[in-house]
Amino acid sequence: MAENIKLACRNVWKLYGPRAAEFLKANPNADLEQVRQAGFVPAVRGANVDVRDGEIFVIMGLSGSGKSTLVRCMSRLIEPTAGALFFEGHDLRKASEKALIDIRRHKMGMVFQHFALLPHLTVLENVAFPLTIQGQTKAKAAARAAEVIELVGLGGREHYYPRALSGGQQQRVGIARSLAVEPELWFLDEPFSALDPLIRREMQDEFLRLQAMLKKTIVFITHDFDEAIRLADRIAIMKDGAIIQVATPEELVMNPASDYVEEFTRHVPRDKVISVGAVMQKGAEGAGEGLRMEGKIADIAEAVVSANAPQMVVDSAGKPVGAIDPETVINVLIGRVR
Amino acid sequence: MERMFKPSILVFAALFAATWLLAKFGGAWFESPALAWLMEYPKSWVLPLKDYVSAAMKWLVEDANFGLFTFTEFTRAIAWLIEQPYEFVRAVLATGFMDGVGRRAEQIVPPLSWIAVTAAVVALGHYAKSWGLAAIVGLAFLYLAVFGQWESAMITLASVVIAVPFGVVGGLMLGLLTYRHKAFEAVLKPILDLMQTIPVFAYLVPILFMFGFGPVSALVATVIYAMPPMARITTLALQNVDPEIVDFGKMTGCTQRQMTWKILVPSALSGLMVGVNQVIMLSLNMVIIASMIGAGGLGFDVLSSLRRLNIGGGFEAGIAIVVLAIALDRLSQALAERSTTYAPAPAKTGLFVRYKRSGVVAVILIATMALGFFIPALQTYPEGAELSTGAFWTESVKYLNINYFDQFEAVKIFFLNNFLLPIKRFFLGIPWPWAIAMLTLIGWKFGGWKLGLMNLIMATFIAATGMWEKAMITVYLCGASVIIASVIGIPIGIWAALSPRAGRVIGVVIDTLQTLPSFVYLIPVVMLFRIGDFTAMIAIVAYALVPAVRYAAHGVRHVSAELIEAGVVSGCTKWQILLKIRLPLALPEILLGINQTIMLALSMLVITALVGTRDLGQEVYIALTKADTGRGLVAGFAIAFIAIMADRVISASARKAKARYGLD
Amino acid sequence: MKTTISRSLIGAAAAAVLSTAAVAEVESADPIKLTLHDWSGQLINTQIMGAILEEAGYNIEYVQADYIAQFAGLKTGDLSLAMEIWATTGQEALDEAVASGNVVNAGETGLNAIEEWWYPLYMKERCPGLPDWTALQNCAEAFATAETAPKGRYVGGPVTWGGFDEERVEALSLDFEVVHAGTDAALFAELESAYQREAPVILWVYVPHWAPAKYEGEFVEFPPYSAECYNDPSVGLNPNAAYDCGKPRGPIWKAAWAGFADKWPGAFSAVQAYTLTNDEMSAMVAAVDIEGQSIDDVVDAWMDDNEARWMGWIGQ
Repeated sequence: MAENIKLACRNVWKLYGPRAAEFLKANPNADLEQVRQAGFVPAVRGANVDVRDGEIFVIMGLSGSGKSTLVRCMSRLIEPTAGALFFEGHDLRKASEKALIDIRRHKMGMVFQHFALLPHLTVLENVAFPLTIQGQTKAKAAARAAEVIELVGLGGREHYYPRALSGGQQQRVGIARSLAVEPELWFLDEPFSALDPLIRREMQDEFLRLQAMLKKTIVFITHDFDEAIRLADRIAIMKDGAIIQVATPEELVMNPASDYVEEFTRHVPRDKVISVGAVMQKGAEGAGEGLRMEGKIADIAEAVVSANAPQMVVDSAGKPVGAIDPETVINVLIGRVR
Repeated sequence: MERMFKPSILVFAALFAATWLLAKFGGAWFESPALAWLMEYPKSWVLPLKDYVSAAMKWLVEDANFGLFTFTEFTRAIAWLIEQPYEFVRAVLATGFMDGVGRRAEQIVPPLSWIAVTAAVVALGHYAKSWGLAAIVGLAFLYLAVFGQWESAMITLASVVIAVPFGVVGGLMLGLLTYRHKAFEAVLKPILDLMQTIPVFAYLVPILFMFGFGPVSALVATVIYAMPPMARITTLALQNVDPEIVDFGKMTGCTQRQMTWKILVPSALSGLMVGVNQVIMLSLNMVIIASMIGAGGLGFDVLSSLRRLNIGGGFEAGIAIVVLAIALDRLSQALAERSTTYAPAPAKTGLFVRYKRSGVVAVILIATMALGFFIPALQTYPEGAELSTGAFWTESVKYLNINYFDQFEAVKIFFLNNFLLPIKRFFLGIPWPWAIAMLTLIGWKFGGWKLGLMNLIMATFIAATGMWEKAMITVYLCGASVIIASVIGIPIGIWAALSPRAGRVIGVVIDTLQTLPSFVYLIPVVMLFRIGDFTAMIAIVAYALVPAVRYAAHGVRHVSAELIEAGVVSGCTKWQILLKIRLPLALPEILLGINQTIMLALSMLVITALVGTRDLGQEVYIALTKADTGRGLVAGFAIAFIAIMADRVISASARKAKARYGLD
Repeated sequence: MKTTISRSLIGAAAAAVLSTAAVAEVESADPIKLTLHDWSGQLINTQIMGAILEEAGYNIEYVQADYIAQFAGLKTGDLSLAMEIWATTGQEALDEAVASGNVVNAGETGLNAIEEWWYPLYMKERCPGLPDWTALQNCAEAFATAETAPKGRYVGGPVTWGGFDEERVEALSLDFEVVHAGTDAALFAELESAYQREAPVILWVYVPHWAPAKYEGEFVEFPPYSAECYNDPSVGLNPNAAYDCGKPRGPIWKAAWAGFADKWPGAFSAVQAYTLTNDEMSAMVAAVDIEGQSIDDVVDAWMDDNEARWMGWIGQ
């Protein structure tokens, strides 16, 4: 049943232009055409999002789709024009400036596309910065900072200035800095977009490794669908300020809500997204020791195809639930399944 | 739709022709009494604004009371506060600490010795950048000592040392306020415009009334003059801070104060340091004017030498100002760069190794101070060993005067008859209501109705306060000078951009022209060309040339390399590249240079009043000598309005040019 | 309108603003504030006065002040003493200030101011009959330049000095054009330039000043000044015009804050007693402006040479 909701957006709007709030009051369900006609720039339109405790929630969209604005609305870096925000059940939009500062200091962390490191501080000072802002003593902050720096693999470079580091290293500093305060909700705004493809891949792995250890609640912004598929527990796809589908990567691939979404999913390697359980023949019998139904096709393809016979599929309790045959696997591999 | 109503180029050409005809042949018409008011703004219509201002000032100084204390007590208290650190720095650098008064005074602690100060700047140069810089600033200070300018230079340095922090902090605060509150920007921007365009002489009188006679008033005037660029640069630098860094600050939960001092200001540091450099240079520009109200120092030496017609002495002191300015400029630029190049922290070392430079300087300081009691040469550079180039300058001017005066005279007469006088007749021949209408139209054409309205109000102000004729002489003198300055300056700038070697030499000349007080060459020019408009024009051109050269060079140099390559690949000759690619693309930049040239030309007017021009500058100057607050401020505002109108129209057209080329 | 003249920009010189314990018993240890302007004669005059008062035990402070603007300070007591108010240029301001009751005229300095048209000696040959002004009626062309020919060119002072030279040229039918210098530096630069070339020049010169010591020349002799000549057209050579005479001459006054005499009575009597002569002053001004001696040295020398004199003024 319903897991704990860390952060919820209810019908969040952000329109740029004079007297936008009045317009929304008069037209609560304005569509894109109406908004544009009225002379507003629509950044976010009626977004509804539930970010669950401990999940990686990816917001994916092309540039200009409003994803950056949405994530900034979630942390109230940008004041939404309308709608409600609930953080751990508390109405975030009603929070006072003081309460907001407190929440940001202790419960939120953010990583930025261009790192946003302070050029005049060393790696150690940068990472310790959020702690000193909270009023922690220098020694305590430095000790904690050193710990996180070690965690992101930058040990030994504490006294470098940011400009002496590579892009990937700089983003590790950014990550370390956002983790130093042990946030409960972690925003990452296109953290790897500015990096070279090889480094990007390495950082994604690093990110997954960290998340496996830390189990944060994460809102991750990207314009890269492959990255979204790779990292996400759930993905929200945005277009023209509106969220057009929220689903797991597998659901997206299997049941895209629109042609637009399908366009993204077309070139996604199916085998890495589709799980065994989604394509197995339910109730059928097969050989072998039993493949886990939540495993991805890519992980079992080799075994099934080389066995050249239907293989048994089991659920998490180890109970047989069906079987998968080599033909199904090959169909998935060559993309014949949709 | 709106576009169609805007008068086209043709209409403007026709209007200009009409204006010219009116100015040339309209004279006879306007002689009839019924129409005379068109030519000369009737005296009975003049708004006695200056009397109101003077009365308000008198009330402020004599009667205004805040309950616990009067306005005058308040301003004098501020003066006292500024005076304390100034007196201290002056004592440290120049005069030493004295016990007693006047002739009976005895020095109890001497000022820093010339060797110690030079050592300190050398160390600072090395710390800021390199031994090369250390050598430059060291030589500069050595020059001051060897050429007998030491004490005056130190007094000037003391003023700068005090004025700069006030200017920087004040500008920073204003810039911060503007950054935080958009509404404040709307209020501050016109004030900054006025602070930069009203001649200092115009507000010197009220400052003297408020802060008393003496160095403090000079410091206050300097700060007012030097602060606006700092405020502007601060706002700009803060606005340019990466928005992600601002977001980061908020996400970290920074309070407003933490945001400002821990995030914004450090991140904007390199931009802010440009502002600091500007404040230093502008403060040095003020030394002459400051010396007129008691700041002493090099500016005073220039003035008093020239009053005695000791041209050489004036030149030497003037060059000393240039040398000091160049040393401070290079030093502050290097420090600015250093403050934003974050090198890896050095390994921990012993105290003396880490503070090696400071240690050496401290040792030299103490040694020269102690030994100075026995060997005075270590304390004060010996007079006997001083050099002087004064006689050389004096003799040069005398030689030119005796041998070439007739040639100079011929050139002058030619320019007067064929250039200056026709322009003068043109401007003085335009009926004022017609001119106001034209200004409004021009504003409307280039900047829309807002600019048109602004021009209308400002031009009407000038007429209504009875300044019209003087304003037209101002426009004529400035206009003629700007034309000459552009004709000379733009080609030089282009040359500097195309030939790196020429560029270096031109750079030095330009730096010198900018920092050499114009008074230094004003008097020799009077000797060679006599009192009159031509002399004033030479002085204005020499000063206002600088931005014309700089901006042209910058514009031509910074045309995108890809476009040049595209030209080369299409087989352009050098001239074709210059004429077809570089110049058109540098045009917006060149326009801005002309804009700055106009600003500097207007700011020179008050100085040229010293050789007897009859424009608004003279009005300001007369007001100064008569201590008439209202008269000075009203004339000052008139000058500022001319400057602002010119600035807005030209910036608007430069923006249009940029937009046309898509260079925004 | 009468002239209000400021001889120059607002004054400048190194001001030592300090205080000290007085040597002798004096009525008040508060510093007496003397104003400094920016011509050497005034600086010398003021610093000699200051030195004498210091010898008498008073505390002295020098303050730079504008020639005309200083009256505002003298009225309030911000400033205590101004050593040179020229009858030729500052009479109106002085009279006005005295009438207010807050400033007193502390008597003559013994110096006499002359301001008038002046020419270098070599012009005498080119315009026979000088120094009498009528000679100018016949040889205006000898003073012409290309711009003014056939009219002569007369370089007047800054317009702020007044002087009524346009009116004088008109009233006396002189064929001259009046050109105004902006400052006295520009004025004397014209003279220096012409003198080097022995070129024609005639200009406004005033004494005490270093120029007559450096350049050989003479003042033009106009019909003598009278107040009526300036105010009443019927008086003088031209029955229809005022200003048909020379410029006024007169003493250089000392002016003090009205409270001076009560606060420092001893000092006030010394101030009243103080006098110099034109010759003394001219020599000192020449020593500073032409020989390049420092004002301090010149003042010291005077103090040493005239000890008996100033001891008498301070009553010792």
